[in-house]
Amino acid sequence: MYRYDEFDTTFVRQRVDQFRDQVDRRVSGELTEEQFRPLRLMNGLYLQLHAYMLRVAVPYGTLNSRQMRKLAFIADEYDKGYGHFTTRQNIQYNWPKLPDVPNILDHLADVEMHAIQTSGNCIRNVTADQWAGAAGDEVEDPRPYAELMRQWSSLHPEFSFLPRKFKIAVTGAASDRAAIAYHDIGLRLTRSANGEIGFEVLAGGGMGRTPMLGVTVRDWLPKDELLAYLEAIMRVYNLHGRRDNKYKARIKILVHELGAEEFTRQVEEEYKRIDAPRVMPPAQELVRIKDYFAPPVYEDLPDQSPELARCMSDDADFAQWVDRNVVAHKQPGYAIVNISLKPVGGVPGDASSGQMRAVADLAEQKSHDEIRVTHEQNLVLPHVRKSDLYGVWQTLKTHGLADANIGLATDIISCPGLDYCALATARSIPISQDISRRLGDISRQRDIGDLKIKISGCINACGHHHAGHIGILGLEKRGEEYYQITLGGSGDETASIGEIIGPGFSSETVTDAVETIVDTYVGLRQDGETFLDAYRRLGPNPFKEAVYATH
Amino acid sequence: MAKKITGPQILTANRLSDGMVVFLSADGTWRASIDAADVARTEDSASALEARAATFVQTNEIVDPYLIAVEETDTGAVPVAFRERRRIAGPSVQAAFNGQSNGSLAFAG
Ligand code: HEM
Ligand code: SF4
Repeated sequence: MYRYDEFDTTFVRQRVDQFRDQVDRRVSGELTEEQFRPLRLMNGLYLQLHAYMLRVAVPYGTLNSRQMRKLAFIADEYDKGYGHFTTRQNIQYNWPKLPDVPNILDHLADVEMHAIQTSGNCIRNVTADQWAGAAGDEVEDPRPYAELMRQWSSLHPEFSFLPRKFKIAVTGAASDRAAIAYHDIGLRLTRSANGEIGFEVLAGGGMGRTPMLGVTVRDWLPKDELLAYLEAIMRVYNLHGRRDNKYKARIKILVHELGAEEFTRQVEEEYKRIDAPRVMPPAQELVRIKDYFAPPVYEDLPDQSPELARCMSDDADFAQWVDRNVVAHKQPGYAIVNISLKPVGGVPGDASSGQMRAVADLAEQKSHDEIRVTHEQNLVLPHVRKSDLYGVWQTLKTHGLADANIGLATDIISCPGLDYCALATARSIPISQDISRRLGDISRQRDIGDLKIKISGCINACGHHHAGHIGILGLEKRGEEYYQITLGGSGDETASIGEIIGPGFSSETVTDAVETIVDTYVGLRQDGETFLDAYRRLGPNPFKEAVYATH
Repeated sequence: MAKKITGPQILTANRLSDGMVVFLSADGTWRASIDAADVARTEDSASALEARAATFVQTNEIVDPYLIAVEETDTGAVPVAFRERRRIAGPSVQAAFNGQSNGSLAFAG
């Protein structure tokens, strides 16, 4: 994984020292809240409804066991023994005390971590596929390019004062697990007709109050032209992007207003003016970065493990878990293990310190010391020998981490909502828990099949509800929470924005409505048809009729 | 300038040290419990509450003070706004993690 160089180390330590001084001055009254607020936000510290919240960055969602143990230590020492993994592949602590925060940051710096919120209207942390470097369907590991873009953008004065924040996601596989169509810029490593690897470039996607899908501006871009081409996009955006209205300043609005064709034309025009070789990093720099993401040293193994096959036929629960939670690895004899943080009725994404330590131990012993955090609020052991799977599963089971529900109805994404978040208009976690309990029976879940339910507690859409097969948005009307349901959203390679099906539901009836929608699908599906496929074939009407007839 | 109010009001804020939700009580302390909150029933007394809260901002004990409308019931003041009721109750999930409902956490003001 990426290791800090001397510059990074010094920088992070200096920021901790600075913040310690700022907290001291805040507590002593030398700084007012107005002066202190932007400083604490820059360090990932928010004031939520009931307490402070510290958001710790996990670049590319990659952690080693030492880092995970440190996160567990912080949860015990400075919080209430747990942490919350988020759709941004971060971890949030919900109860830190202000005077403790500099100490927490010092502990994080010990393991090359920080909470520096790359906030403001700049290019934010680049995100990547959580199975990067391991996935069987991957053309190339996208993370070196993510890191390259991070370095390029952080050093680029021209892009520090954009009209609005800017997010880039990159995937190396045909299956899109990084939701690239929902980012300002989305990149997919793909092969051209003659087998050469390059990027498909999308621009203009986003969630929030005006959800939009990115459009493809280039089908195929040679890899070494990446930064020059991005620079062309950024220039067109910088020139036209609306600074007069915060809600209209995102690139998605520009792409939408100009039209995809005109936007693309302008980008290509600008691109011709750019001196590409000047923008290119020296070849040895990419090699240096790639070294950080070098694959672990795998053992030479046969792809089939007779031991695994035997355990699967002996233990049906284990076989179910393998079926849902384990996916193909590039390397013969290895597998990717997805650890569900979605126990039936639990809080999506929460993990106790004990669970964090258990995962750290497993990573150290069985997964080349690597852990990933997914944007679906789960964890991953990316490099596990197939013959170790049974043992790993047994250990996970003893820690309440063996739910075999990845991608099923109870694998729900939920933002913190009105249980924690000061911007929320309604609660989201209790709704997810209620739905999870209702649909929790594992044979029922398996019968329903692939289903993504996503819940946000306000229009900011942190819970990605626009991309949910079933999306739920919590709002408030006349002092009551109510929930708007959207259907047919998707964040994958067939991305689509969910459509509102009709009037919202109360907190008491929203779970019934979701269940009715699911049952309607089960009644109408054809052989092997997933919920999303069925919705795309049938349209909203049968679902509307079912839901509004019974409510 | 008198504060325009539509009904009884209490004053709430977050404690600087840990962000905890607190209410200004009649004895001049900030308490985690709403039970002892000083209720303003006139515009003048609402303004007075705000003025008192401002002094605690000056002394860096609390941040973001504001008035909230309450209904006075037999069992005490209850916020009108749903958001405020939730804010007082603390997370409805993980009761064990929830330190908010413990009304004994007063601190001197
Ligand atoms: C609790 C504190 C939080 C606050 C105050 C907060 C605030 C916001 C705001 C204001 C936006 C909209 C920004 C914009 O559209 O320009 C936003 C977007 C977003 N938030 Fe949060 N958020 C919080 C927690 C979370 C959590 C826990 C997650 C992950 C589960 C998350 C994930 C996201 C994502 C992915 C977006 C981007 C949506 C887009 O593409 O426009 N946020 N957040
Ligand atoms: S969607 Fe709204 S309620 Fe949920 S975390 Fe984001 S800002 Fe808070």
